[in-house]
Amino acid sequence: MLNPENAVMWAMLVCIVTAVIMPLFNRSKRVSGWLAFAAAAISACLVFVAAVYVLMNGGGEPISFLKSRALGFALRLHVDGLSAVFLLLTAFVSICSAFYSIEYLGHYERHGPARYYSWLLLFIAALYGIVSTTDTMYFFFIFWQLMTVAGFALMRYENEKRANRRAAAKFFWMMQLACFVTMVGAFLLAPSGIVVEQGEELMRFDFVSLQSNMPALFSESPGVITAAFVLFLIGFGIKMGMWPLGGIWLPDAHPAAPSPVSALLSGVMIKTGVYGVMRYFLWLVPAESLSDFHSGAWGLVIALIGTVTLLLGTAKALGQEQTKRLLAYHSIGQIGYILLGFGICLSLVSNPAAGARQVALLGLFAALFHTINHGVFKSLLFLNAGSLLYVTDTQDLNKMGGLMRYMPVSGVTALVGACSISGIPLFNGFASKWGLYSAGFQAAPWSAYLPLCAAVAVFTSALTLASFVKFFGASFMSRAGRHVIESVSEGSRKVLDWKMKVAQVLPALVCVLLGIFPVVVFSRFHYALGRDAQGMLLSLTDGAPVEGGLWRGVEALGAKAVFAPIGLLVVLGALVLFCCWLLRAGGAQRRPASPWLCGYAWDAEDFRYNAHGYYGELKALFKCKGNTRLNRESDDMYALGSETDTAARGRAGVVAEKTETD
Amino acid sequence: MWYDLLTSVFRGLVNTVLLLALAPLCEGIVRKLTARIQSRQGPPIRQAYYDILKLLGKEDIEVGESPVFQRLAAALGLASVLCIAWLIPMGVGIPFSGGDVILLVYLLALGAVVGVLAGIASGTTYSMLGVSREVMMLITLEPLLIIALLVAAVNGGSMRLEPVFSGVVFGDVTFSYAGLIMLLMVLAAFQAYVKRVPFDIAEAETEIMEGALMEYSGPKLALFKYAQMCRLVVYSGVFVALFVPWGNELMFPLGWLLFWLKVAVLVVLVTVLAASHARYRIDQAVRYFLVMVAVSFGALVLAALGY
Repeated sequence: MLNPENAVMWAMLVCIVTAVIMPLFNRSKRVSGWLAFAAAAISACLVFVAAVYVLMNGGGEPISFLKSRALGFALRLHVDGLSAVFLLLTAFVSICSAFYSIEYLGHYERHGPARYYSWLLLFIAALYGIVSTTDTMYFFFIFWQLMTVAGFALMRYENEKRANRRAAAKFFWMMQLACFVTMVGAFLLAPSGIVVEQGEELMRFDFVSLQSNMPALFSESPGVITAAFVLFLIGFGIKMGMWPLGGIWLPDAHPAAPSPVSALLSGVMIKTGVYGVMRYFLWLVPAESLSDFHSGAWGLVIALIGTVTLLLGTAKALGQEQTKRLLAYHSIGQIGYILLGFGICLSLVSNPAAGARQVALLGLFAALFHTINHGVFKSLLFLNAGSLLYVTDTQDLNKMGGLMRYMPVSGVTALVGACSISGIPLFNGFASKWGLYSAGFQAAPWSAYLPLCAAVAVFTSALTLASFVKFFGASFMSRAGRHVIESVSEGSRKVLDWKMKVAQVLPALVCVLLGIFPVVVFSRFHYALGRDAQGMLLSLTDGAPVEGGLWRGVEALGAKAVFAPIGLLVVLGALVLFCCWLLRAGGAQRRPASPWLCGYAWDAEDFRYNAHGYYGELKALFKCKGNTRLNRESDDMYALGSETDTAARGRAGVVAEKTETD
Repeated sequence: MWYDLLTSVFRGLVNTVLLLALAPLCEGIVRKLTARIQSRQGPPIRQAYYDILKLLGKEDIEVGESPVFQRLAAALGLASVLCIAWLIPMGVGIPFSGGDVILLVYLLALGAVVGVLAGIASGTTYSMLGVSREVMMLITLEPLLIIALLVAAVNGGSMRLEPVFSGVVFGDVTFSYAGLIMLLMVLAAFQAYVKRVPFDIAEAETEIMEGALMEYSGPKLALFKYAQMCRLVVYSGVFVALFVPWGNELMFPLGWLLFWLKVAVLVVLVTVLAASHARYRIDQAVRYFLVMVAVSFGALVLAALGY
């Protein structure tokens, strides 16, 4: 029978086998592209079935593969509610990414496809593995290293660029540090012998063994447990881009990788850190030792780190002028939101008041929901950035503009992505942020600092909005620059293939659907996590924090916060229709014209308002002008063989700044 | 159920129609009053109605890279402001019960964002300047309003709009100093919410020629202008509902008249302030608002602690 664990195992095997035979097809980019997509799609379907089964019916028992008693070594897989959520996200993003790659890879003239697709499939297999294995030592190490090496190789795909090699090296060593730290943490918690649980002999470093050793450790040496959890937080924190260590590798790594890989890195890979933190902090402590674990203090620490991460990440993003770099900093910012939601959960989880525990559960659901949402809209945005790079050969926002006319599909989907990440109602980002804010502000009776953290998150949400107004405005709206006009002129113009368009439309649709039907997600979370509740979560499952229906929308915490997306859609839609009628009611004629160029007779690059000019005063206030040296230099670092005109860019920037401070 | 649905649709329509009907009147009062304060004759009070009607029939000169998008932006800009009228009690009860304070704030922001995108789409340097300024104002103003609403939510223990708009901002049982602080903050920033002098930095007719709206003409300009007029009423409505809701529960014509009277008082106040002040620079304004945001973070902590 194909149970979820077997399905995941098969999915990994399909990926790995295809990765191994991939070099045979190195001649043709098209064949290897479709082959890799087929492998990714088959494995994603297997994982999809497994994850949906678990979300609908609850998880089953763990299954051991490759068991070797002599080595103390077994691949024990377990797909429960939490794993299923992450598997689902991985499956979805990997399909979009592999489908997008088929055509996208065509523009790398100097590099063969096998080196790309082999590592991509191994990377996907590692992602599946790491969120479903229960081994905290050997297979954790194997999957983590597979992920790291594959990521390293993919970032170095264009290895002729020094910036890419450096980013990949930085990523590699930071991941080694994170791996080491996390494994030391697991080592500290491991029991000395073999544990027998429910008739099954478990390996020393199995998650359940660690769990069963906790009560003894709590009575003997609680300091060791604190040390281990600090190590877990640091290790997974590095992976997810948490302040302070995550910022070292993440902003360099995302722009270095090819765009579909950036989508996977930001959409899924950094989420494995989120998975690790959630798994270890909520599941590891058994129910009987809850009183010994200072979850309130841990929650405070994580919520505060999350708040710092989201504020700093987003503030730094405000100064960026490179598409993928900007998106990378926002990944850090959005991870901060997830951490904040999880921190709210952890700080109220062992509160005696039932109301507080409901808030905690809402915080957890919001964090998980935001994990999914961020995975979807951020991978969409990276694919949009990839399309921009594909058509214009640059990552520099200053050189873009007016691209809506030439690539409408990317433009509209990028708008959906931008609306989602900045939390515009009816898009998915709003639904999860709504849950997060509700949890934060309803936590007021039990802690005064959580509302403050949530208020900072609201403020940061406005910063995110500003940043994406810049991202979308400077690339798709505003006036086309010289570079754009040259790259879309007849003859040399690159057109987006239908495959690339589909790969962008799909996540955009998911963004809208999740935004309109958040009730489905919340109810599934409650069901799936409740079925497999263990440890700390047991104290949480006394009632659903979010209820609702199709028309009622979502109602959190006994209807103290409501959001009815369909009602809003009907009202807003009717009003928009009315306004559209009003536009035509006067019978006005339409006539296209060219813009007024401030008295100049010709359109010129020098007085075009580019990305550098946005928000000068605010950037000055936050002292986050962005790394200007990098912004200038990166022309050469990331451009795909296009000529640079840094001097002209610099002039335009100076003009823009002058106009603004006048 | 059907009865509830019909009531809410009826209330929503009443609010929408009244908003559309009275917003130009408020604008007329503002213009006339400004003129009198500045010793001018001023246009007739009906002038704002004439302006909109005239613009709706004028030729629509479309500038920009994405005309369809721009048309949609104009429609959505007005629609999102009208949608607020479904979320606040304007003398009659709250029509749409499927939203809370977070949705309200995000919808208020949506109106501004749509205008911003329209400005970017037209793509001239002046409109981009206006857009950049508008967004900077938005960043600093949005948190102020949401914190004011959330102080009420924290005091009353619920984020739904009915309890929030019941005067609970000044405390449920005991008096809340946080509410008082937020009243002062929002009052001090109110000119900026309704985009009037001294904080009309993003439009700044005399400086960057209406900023984001510079390239718009005809029906699209009419809709943007209409949205701006409605914004004055809607924000006054939010202010009245949050800070001075008393009398709303009176019998139908009384409570309703009282609401519009309070809005009118607020409009006059805005006008007097606008007519007697000069515009701030954007860096001054941003610094000013960031200090206020910091203060209101403090107020939120006070509210959470029960003061």
